[in-house]
Amino acid sequence: MTVRETGLPRPEGPYPPTEAMLAEPVPEDVAKAQAERLRAAWAPPTGWRYWTAVNNTKVGKWYCLTALVFMLLAGVMALIIRLQLAVPENDLVSADRFNQLFTMHGSAMMFLFAVPMFEAISILLLPGLLGARDMPFPRLSAFGYWCFLIGGVFVIGSIFFDAAPRAGWFMYPPLATKDDGPGSDIWLLGLSFIEIASIAAAVELIVGSLKCRPPGMRVNIMPLYAWYVLVVGGMILFAFPPLIAGDFLFELERSFDWPFFDPERGGDPMLWQHLFWIFGHPEVYIVFLPSIAIAAMIVPTVARRPIFGYSWIVLSAVGTGFLSFGLWVHHMFTTGLPSISLGFFSAASEAVVIPTGIQIFAFLATLMAGRVKMTLPMLWISGALAIFTMGGLTGVMLALAPFDFQAHDTYFIVAHLHYTLFGGMVFPVIAGVYYFYPFFRKKLMSERLGRWAFWLIFTGFNLCFLPMHLTGLWGMPRRIYTYPTGLGWDGLNLISTLGAFVVAAGFAIFVWDLIRPKGGQPQIPRNPWDAGTLEWTHDVPEEVWGVRSIPHVTTRYPLWDQPGMQGRMDAGGFYLPDAREGKREILITSVIDAEPVQVQRVSGPTWITHLAAGFTGGAFIFPTFHWYPPAIACGVLAICCIIWWLWTSTARPPETDIKDVGLDLKLPTYAAGPASTGWWAMWITMLGDATAFASLIFGFFFYWTASPDFPPEGAVHAASGLIGLAAVGFAATWALTVGGRRLNRVQAVGAARACLAFAPLMAAGGASALIGSVWPLEPSAHVYPAVLWALAIWVAAHCGVGGIMQLYCLAGSLFGKLTPRYDADIWNVSLYWHFVTIAALVTCAVLGLAPGAL
Amino acid sequence: MSEEHQPRREEDAKEFAEEQASLFKITFGPLIWAVHFVVCYGLVAVTCAKGWDIFATRLGLVLLSALALGGIGWVGWSAWRQWNPSRTGDPMNRGSRAEDRHHFLGHAAFLLSIISLIGVVFVSMPLILIGGCQ
Repeated sequence: MTVRETGLPRPEGPYPPTEAMLAEPVPEDVAKAQAERLRAAWAPPTGWRYWTAVNNTKVGKWYCLTALVFMLLAGVMALIIRLQLAVPENDLVSADRFNQLFTMHGSAMMFLFAVPMFEAISILLLPGLLGARDMPFPRLSAFGYWCFLIGGVFVIGSIFFDAAPRAGWFMYPPLATKDDGPGSDIWLLGLSFIEIASIAAAVELIVGSLKCRPPGMRVNIMPLYAWYVLVVGGMILFAFPPLIAGDFLFELERSFDWPFFDPERGGDPMLWQHLFWIFGHPEVYIVFLPSIAIAAMIVPTVARRPIFGYSWIVLSAVGTGFLSFGLWVHHMFTTGLPSISLGFFSAASEAVVIPTGIQIFAFLATLMAGRVKMTLPMLWISGALAIFTMGGLTGVMLALAPFDFQAHDTYFIVAHLHYTLFGGMVFPVIAGVYYFYPFFRKKLMSERLGRWAFWLIFTGFNLCFLPMHLTGLWGMPRRIYTYPTGLGWDGLNLISTLGAFVVAAGFAIFVWDLIRPKGGQPQIPRNPWDAGTLEWTHDVPEEVWGVRSIPHVTTRYPLWDQPGMQGRMDAGGFYLPDAREGKREILITSVIDAEPVQVQRVSGPTWITHLAAGFTGGAFIFPTFHWYPPAIACGVLAICCIIWWLWTSTARPPETDIKDVGLDLKLPTYAAGPASTGWWAMWITMLGDATAFASLIFGFFFYWTASPDFPPEGAVHAASGLIGLAAVGFAATWALTVGGRRLNRVQAVGAARACLAFAPLMAAGGASALIGSVWPLEPSAHVYPAVLWALAIWVAAHCGVGGIMQLYCLAGSLFGKLTPRYDADIWNVSLYWHFVTIAALVTCAVLGLAPGAL
Repeated sequence: MSEEHQPRREEDAKEFAEEQASLFKITFGPLIWAVHFVVCYGLVAVTCAKGWDIFATRLGLVLLSALALGGIGWVGWSAWRQWNPSRTGDPMNRGSRAEDRHHFLGHAAFLLSIISLIGVVFVSMPLILIGGCQ
């Protein structure tokens, strides 16, 4: 690898630490001084600056609470829906209001609660589980949170102005495209904004679990939660981008009348259904897996033994992750696809049951082999398993296409999906709240209130949703705002409504228990459940540093199997016990074996993330009302904020190349290329970006498959000469970027700067030529010119961002931020351009060659 | 593998490259399943939409399925050799040595290839059981 050519030092000193080294005590006065410095470095800001904090413990809590508030609001909407349906011919709310309520209930529960809750909990817990100080990119977490807050308030707030989306949470065209009013735009733009925050969190969590594990924690001993985070992070990267691509097309249709989903002009509403469900089905597992991961942490603790079948659970997480991408058409069984195609998806839907079942059996085996203490968290896990299994069973039924033909769009589906989501998400998450409460709040929740909440929610849930199976089989369709009497649905609906209010009572108790003041409670024990994993080495009362020193971990349950570790951690006897320069630092380890490789500075409190999130929000929210000039201004300001943020606090040349991290080990302080966390983050982000691009290309070929005249007879094609020119421009800008990186490495700084100065010109030239090639085409006339335009815009926008990156590197080189020795930025930018160049050349091929070939 | 030792530099890099490959190897089985799935779905969709010969498509895809099963079988076999508890005497892989991690990755890849095998068999069944595009 060429990374070492700059002469950056390698780790020096003994690793792994010997028993003798670990037995050596740390002098008390040294430890005390270290603790003081560490505390000062990690102290969160106070007063009104409290909100500038970026520590994962703060951001994670805000994130969780915000998601909880959105969940409660969506729950209130559900109660209104149930009240409306309690009796036949009811007129509590109008049909239009009812449409807004169920659309918003579904959208908010999925996009503002279920997925963000996973991210929130993981940001809060993951560093603790890994014995790390913080996430690798704290400001990115904060930025993601503020985006989520702004976007969420915007989307959910629309219902108070009677302007909420009302076409159902999957926004099928033509209902959603033809809908007057801003509802559909609010859904599209508001949620796209939040999806981008989700992808940011996924990047952070993947890098966190790959590169921030404690020394010695190889992949075979990392907590199962981290395995699930990896799998779910990967799933987000492949599941969310198709929806973003779909949103892009949808919004172009809404705003500029480009007919992607309009069959009269060659479009096809089915494309939206495909793109939505390629996202929507994996999303169900994106919600389910991390929640079941919480169960994987609780079960060994209550069984008081290691998890049974660790590898089997890894199998089931990874296997479910893959198989869940082969299920999407089971939401589309009644759309008239060929029966062999239905067969594939039916088969895959049945196959996914196997890994899902395996993990449940692994939990049961662990419980059977252990000595179970029926604690409150375990009670909720038991409820989760019972409810989820029932949802799974109806899932097996619905995966059979002929059964689905009958039950499609009835209340049977409503019952099924609530069983899977309550059992697979809500119950395990509540179990997790009870279990981890002492970890993040340093208090205990009430045993008595917890049992009340459990039994109310459990019975209320079954009272509400069990009868719905029957209501559905007796023919009641979803999404009707009222129904005539005498169809046999009256009594069942009334029972469901009663059940819903029992659930609500349970939630009221739970939320009260969560937020009630607990000042009078005595100090809790440090490890109240007697668990074996690292998060229970936390400090009680709370300390701000995450861990006092980062341990060397050699077992899956270090608190059970590594006696003396806790004491040594507290004494500062492991790695990174000090913050000598008063800066925040985290330890970076290798991906597979977690060998320490680097000390990384992480950024502290700031307002820049708020500004960046606010302007990004503006760029998404103003177009909802077709106010384009302020949207563009916000977009530019958001880019300026992000550049300032990156320039001032990332990949700065360090004062020293190498520093002592304790136990005689010295680690480098700077890394570039594949050794750095930033490069990994870029790689992961671009994988998601490439998926979105692939979805657009899929769209192009989908139109070709679905319609007999695509491209239509006599259509104007993109100008081939200009396409050729564009391809040359893209190849040149790529070559200049990569060349600039190499020249910079070999000290040819002047030549490298010349490359970086010419590269954006070439990028601009390529993008202009590409736009020029489609310029004569009329995108609102037919879907063929529209899709060519969409591809050209996609590539041009990426060239614009790439050009800014090249200029950023040029500026870095001119002002001493980027030198031959410290060149992380240009590595990341070249990586970006690898991906964009491939996308650009594929676009050129599709635009130029496809019309002849098809 | 013998007892732990401090590896020399090149040996270190080589061993790491191998393990990196074996981290990816746990996804090979599911990846073959995914490619098989996408090809089956895509080709059948195009065949039905464009009125191509569905029988020939089915035949070709059944052959592809056989190929996929063979590929997964090979991944599974090499993963089994990496894990094989009767040889290594270690079915749980919960230790902290490089060797435990090596066996664990074999174990995970082996289990995943079994699930992928089942997945491919499931997904091939419509090709055999369902006649045409109706």
